[in-house]
Amino acid sequence: MNTQTTSDAQISSVAQSRSVLDVIDVTIRYGTKPAIQNVSLSIPQHRITAIIGPSGCGKSTLLRAFNRMNDFIPNVGMEGRILYLGSDIYAREVDPVEVRRRIGMVFQKPNPFPKSILQNVAWGPSINGFTGNLEDRVEQSLRRAALWEEVSDRLHESALALSGGQQQRLCIARALAMEPDVILMDEPCSALDPVSTARIEDLMFELKERYTIVIVTHNMQQAARVSSLTAFLENGSLVEYGETDQVFTRPRNQRTEEYVTGRFG
Amino acid sequence: MAKSPLAGAGTRKSRTKEELIRFVLFLCAFLSILTTLSIIAILAWEAYSFFREVRVFDFLSGTRWTPLLEPRSFGVLPLVAGTLQIVIGASLIAIPVGLASAIYLAEFASAGVRRVLKPVLEILAGIPTVVYGYFALTFVTPLIAAIFPQTQIFNAASASIVVGIMVLPMTASLCDDALRAVPESLRQGAFALGATQFEVTLRVVLPAALSGVMASFVLAASRAIGETMAVTLAAGATPKMTLNPLQSIQTMTAYIVQVSLGDTPVGTVEYQTIFAVAALLFAITLSMNIIAHRVLARFREVYE
Amino acid sequence: MSSDRLRRRHATTRCFRLLCAAVAWAGIVILAVLLFHVTREGIRWLDLQFLTAFPSRFPEQAGIKSALWGTVWLITLTAGISIPVGVAAAIYLEEFSPRNRLSQLIEVNIGNLAGVPSIVYGILGLVLFVRFLALGRSVLAGSLTMTLLILPVIIIAAREALRAVPDSIRHAAFALGATRWQAVRAQVLPVALPGILTGVILALSRAIGETAPLVMIGALTYVAFVPEGPMDAFTALPIQIFNWASRPQEDFHQLAAAGIIVLLVTLLLMNATAVWIRQRAERTGR
Ligand SMILES: Nc1ncnc2c1ncn2[C@@H]1O[C@H](COP(=O)(O)OP(=O)(O)OP(=O)(O)O)[C@@H](O)[C@H]1O
Ligand SMILES: [Mg+2]
Repeated sequence: MNTQTTSDAQISSVAQSRSVLDVIDVTIRYGTKPAIQNVSLSIPQHRITAIIGPSGCGKSTLLRAFNRMNDFIPNVGMEGRILYLGSDIYAREVDPVEVRRRIGMVFQKPNPFPKSILQNVAWGPSINGFTGNLEDRVEQSLRRAALWEEVSDRLHESALALSGGQQQRLCIARALAMEPDVILMDEPCSALDPVSTARIEDLMFELKERYTIVIVTHNMQQAARVSSLTAFLENGSLVEYGETDQVFTRPRNQRTEEYVTGRFG
Repeated sequence: MAKSPLAGAGTRKSRTKEELIRFVLFLCAFLSILTTLSIIAILAWEAYSFFREVRVFDFLSGTRWTPLLEPRSFGVLPLVAGTLQIVIGASLIAIPVGLASAIYLAEFASAGVRRVLKPVLEILAGIPTVVYGYFALTFVTPLIAAIFPQTQIFNAASASIVVGIMVLPMTASLCDDALRAVPESLRQGAFALGATQFEVTLRVVLPAALSGVMASFVLAASRAIGETMAVTLAAGATPKMTLNPLQSIQTMTAYIVQVSLGDTPVGTVEYQTIFAVAALLFAITLSMNIIAHRVLARFREVYE
Repeated sequence: MSSDRLRRRHATTRCFRLLCAAVAWAGIVILAVLLFHVTREGIRWLDLQFLTAFPSRFPEQAGIKSALWGTVWLITLTAGISIPVGVAAAIYLEEFSPRNRLSQLIEVNIGNLAGVPSIVYGILGLVLFVRFLALGRSVLAGSLTMTLLILPVIIIAAREALRAVPDSIRHAAFALGATRWQAVRAQVLPVALPGILTGVILALSRAIGETAPLVMIGALTYVAFVPEGPMDAFTALPIQIFNWASRPQEDFHQLAAAGIIVLLVTLLLMNATAVWIRQRAERTGR
């Protein structure tokens, strides 16, 4: 199978809406070992894109490349280009800090700062020169993250006192407070119970009106439920990328079919 | 590149600020290098002017140290011998006691006992050396004198004992680290063969931890060599080469203190002796530390 | 026959265990003897007059006022200089430094500096601060010397505290568009603070007891005044103790013991504070 032509075709097939991130022939290595190989894809605006694939196939590595979080891992090397709204985020003159202000991230394990709920949400805007009403911004972010009702009367209490699901929504609120363009989520529900998971999935639906979301998930049903597009990675290569409907019901690639139907291995 | 979506308003400015902060932090870290260089430069420079008057060979091999008395003689060996005597005496205490304590802590003691003993060792380690000097002078020496009436008021034995007590906590805790670094699987393998705890400890754990344990001994000895106040107070100010621990001697460190307390004019060759002695002291302790750290680093690598 | 041998082997283990235990607990005995001896010798002299009088040729009039204040000055200045510099160095090494040869060199060098005998720092202080920078035998010269002496200890302790902060906190901050410094100052440092404080207090308590470097830079032993500025001459508690202990008269030895009690109580208070901080952080912490 010729990866290059397939992914070109896939890019054009999903490019009905404007693309926010364009991944162009990206290869990422830890030391000399490649974790992502020649991946190209485009992430459209105001949609939810899911990245699925077996453990260790490079999902997190690819996701972290989108906001340059791989910079913090020693010995990571990258080839290829990643464009955000047309400009290369790895270009020499680009400050990675600026990239992360536009492209927020929610991690697998909830990681609130050991501070108050208010401080958790307010910190991002305040270090980035936000001049408006900080409390309004906090309230707005918490509302969007569907957490406001639960915490409005205890904003000054420690974020660590929240439940796991609440903590994860707080982390989403914290990311939203930056008013990013894109939100990257790496298995955001894997540490949560089904009820919290459902709440966060509902939340993603609402958020896609305003934000572009990329989510890594192990959970096939979740990918099928929430995403409009799905990318299937295997061994660091992009096997298939397209409308979620199509990927799950009429996969073009046999490996994809085996994986989404659970006959994998 | 006029309207890149990534060209933030304050980017340039905050980047400069970040670089500035980074640079200041770097300077603070780099200060340690400057400290080392200053020590080396000062000792080298001052010792150089000393060695223009006294031949290096005479200094290192002479057996008479009388720089302040006529006829002056600059053989450093009596000070080295005094130091050596203290180090050997201290090691006789610190090595067996430290190792046995470490074995007890690592192999036998329950978590509760560790919680009591470890802080006690820390307290012992935190007691200032001048206190140990006082203790040697007013408690240990009278005790020795009660047993051996010929004991001098200032003597090597008393100083050795307190220096041994002083470096004991450090020896114990470094040995403890080394023993605990030995993987549990080694012990279990030996137990499975029917070995008793004693055999496991002596035949399996100790050999496996040997290089770490030896490095601890070297570090402890280096500490003992550099120890100053206890030997100044208790060991005396008589540079001489003797094997009798009940007599007064002088160590390198105590000599430096003696000169700096006295009124030897700055700039004279008598005064420069302290730099020559300090340079020797620095060279000895530094090489011991470097060797020990090398050995420890390799030891840790084996079990990680 | 063979069970006899087994019994003997077990008996060996028991003896060995007993021996090790006895030796380990000997530390407590030594500590107790030392404290008992010092208290018995010195307690008689320990009164208000001892704390508020200047040193004197007459034991019954002698006190540690100047030494006490000298130590307060010395430690305050030392803390003021060494804490920011040491923590900054630790932050650089732990959070900023690229993993290159220079940072490796700095690390190894700090480890070795921690093992340099304190009297060598005294010589460094004497030549560099007292003479070359012409600070004289002042509190400032003493504090700078002490700073160089305890910096390695502070740096090593602060690095450990920073390393204990989970990376997830750093990543959360970076993902919000924080610069390294913003992440460190607002998120990492507060979490590491109790650990850093504990290390700092232990380092400062080492500085309080250090005698040799002060002797080297010529902290005077007879000072009948309290320093009023960083350029004043001074004496310090351990110097005063050393001075009294090195005199032949019994009375002065007992004065030294009284001074030691004051010194040890100070150290005990500082250590207790460190323990308290550590425990409070563990209780409220993650
Ligand atoms: N810091 C690292 N250093 C070296 N290799 C790494 C590192 N992180 C990941 N890898 C390797 O890169 C490959 C891809 O890892 P990645 O974490 O991206 O996988 P993943 O698809 O997210 O897996 P999972 O579903 O288990 O989270 C794996 O083979 C992994 O071993
Ligand atoms: Mg992953």
